[in-house]
Amino acid sequence: MPPREGTYGLLAEFDTPGDLVRAARQARQDGWRRMDCYTPYPVEEAAEAIGFHRNKVPLITLIGGLMGLAAMFSLETWISTLAFPLNIGGRPTYSWPAFIVPAYEWTILFAGLSAAFGMLALNGLPALYHPLFNAPNFRDGATTDKFFLCLEALDPKFNLAETKAYLEGLQPVSVVEVEY
Amino acid sequence: MAHETHAKTLPADLGAPAFVDGWKSRALMVGVVFSVIAAGLAFADGSIEHVLRAWVLGLMMTFGFSVGGLALLMVQYCSGGKWGLLLRRPLEAMSRTLPLVFVYWLVVAFEVKRLYLWAQVSDVTAALKSGLINEVQAHAIEFKRPMLNPGTFIWVSVLCFAIWGLYTWRLNALGLKRDSDSPANTPYWIKKLENISGPGIVVYSLTMTAAVIYWVMSMDPTWYSSVYGLLFLVGQGYMVLAFSIIVSLGLSKAEPFRTVLRQTEQHDMGKFMFAFVMLNIYLAFGQFLIIWSGNLPEEIPWYLDRIRGHWGIIITLDFMFHWLIPFTLLLSRDIKRNKKRLVRVCQWMIFAKAFDLFWLIEPNYKDAARNLHFSWGILEYAAVPVAMTAFWVAFFCTRLKARPLVQTNDPHLAEILEPEHVHA
Repeated sequence: MPPREGTYGLLAEFDTPGDLVRAARQARQDGWRRMDCYTPYPVEEAAEAIGFHRNKVPLITLIGGLMGLAAMFSLETWISTLAFPLNIGGRPTYSWPAFIVPAYEWTILFAGLSAAFGMLALNGLPALYHPLFNAPNFRDGATTDKFFLCLEALDPKFNLAETKAYLEGLQPVSVVEVEY
Repeated sequence: MAHETHAKTLPADLGAPAFVDGWKSRALMVGVVFSVIAAGLAFADGSIEHVLRAWVLGLMMTFGFSVGGLALLMVQYCSGGKWGLLLRRPLEAMSRTLPLVFVYWLVVAFEVKRLYLWAQVSDVTAALKSGLINEVQAHAIEFKRPMLNPGTFIWVSVLCFAIWGLYTWRLNALGLKRDSDSPANTPYWIKKLENISGPGIVVYSLTMTAAVIYWVMSMDPTWYSSVYGLLFLVGQGYMVLAFSIIVSLGLSKAEPFRTVLRQTEQHDMGKFMFAFVMLNIYLAFGQFLIIWSGNLPEEIPWYLDRIRGHWGIIITLDFMFHWLIPFTLLLSRDIKRNKKRLVRVCQWMIFAKAFDLFWLIEPNYKDAARNLHFSWGILEYAAVPVAMTAFWVAFFCTRLKARPLVQTNDPHLAEILEPEHVHA
């Protein structure tokens, strides 16, 4: 893919999460779709405000967990009944209560790993480059105390001058243009 | 720069809404109907044996709500958190139902000889000869006599009730005092309530363990489990959270809870309850796995009494009812954030707790151990505890109406009135 050039989007900076959420709600209501919020900590309302949609991470986690459960339980069953049957205190070789604990641990392990790697696979991380880091106020504030709303140039409604005026109407601290 | 506040204001009237009276009359009606059913069943069965056994189940349910409510109140005073502001007054009301629980217990105290084998047998040799008990039971009853005798049973229980009563009275009185004091003194009250509650949790764990050992575990004098008290402790957290979520979501249909109950805190309480669902099965399965692995003649009969003779069906259902179903449902974020569905899950969990107690109590008796069979009497388990819990709920409603529903001298109040997105 050739390197993209031009404007990535317009970045509005806010001081409080409340202001960000209100601005994001307004923008979505006004028809904006290609946009994103950036906050130093998770603000669930911001995700909802820009139309957060469901993703497949929960499904991947469930499938991973069930696979871990099935894998460990059948491994233990195979070892104890077929591969290396041992008489332990006269108990039956298929002693399911003893298999529960490792099977449970593998359920948790597989579910956790599937959630982590599934999330990374679906959200495109790790990313080595992101144009927003070109904005100095984003570099300094996005991980500490600033809240950002970015309207992206890919949105069909995007027009540099009009969008800048529109964002300024949402009463941000500042609006800056971000280059690719 | 937009910096105006969007905080809500607390309504002037913080009293319980009028429909709490409706809950009360509905609960009384259910109580009366189920009392009639219980009496009819006792008549059909021709004995009150099962009425008494089911009575212990009802006692353990209401005791769990009342003293468990006190315990969660103390945990809340120590841990802090916004959820506490929502639950504090309902929990205080639950703790103040202790007198009714004591009245329920009096019946058990009077009928101790019918309910407990160790109280029935005064002469071990004679009972052994007549075939009432076997040698293992004879040995256990004789050996445990200093602890398991009617006198100690009554004194230990009364002492426990006195201690719970003392904590209930102190925490409830100070809770009101804190609100009538000036807001400037709130840090002092927070510290004071914390200092009472911290040791209180330890005292509660010990007294509660003693009570459940006497009231439930000693029904089988031969068996013992060191995790038993903890199992009931977690069980109380399980049912108390379920009940208080039902109450607070019910109250949120009107002021003042409509203003203070946010979805964030509802979600938090759901997560908290989910933790108890996990802890509950962890302890229950841990106990089973250890005893199953040990396979010792002193311990394993207790489980065999509860697995063989069709009891296997009940334990399988018990596992599904009180772990699998709440676990799978509470995993879902949507259910935890949906009022109607979360209330349904909570109602189910309270039923599941009672079902678990049925599995714990009934097989202690000779006629039922390893032999699950139908009798009119066994249906008492579906009548007596419902009636007792219904009367308890009615009493709880009067307690709930006695105080304003929201504590105003609390640093979390300002936060809870703000819109949800202000805080992470």
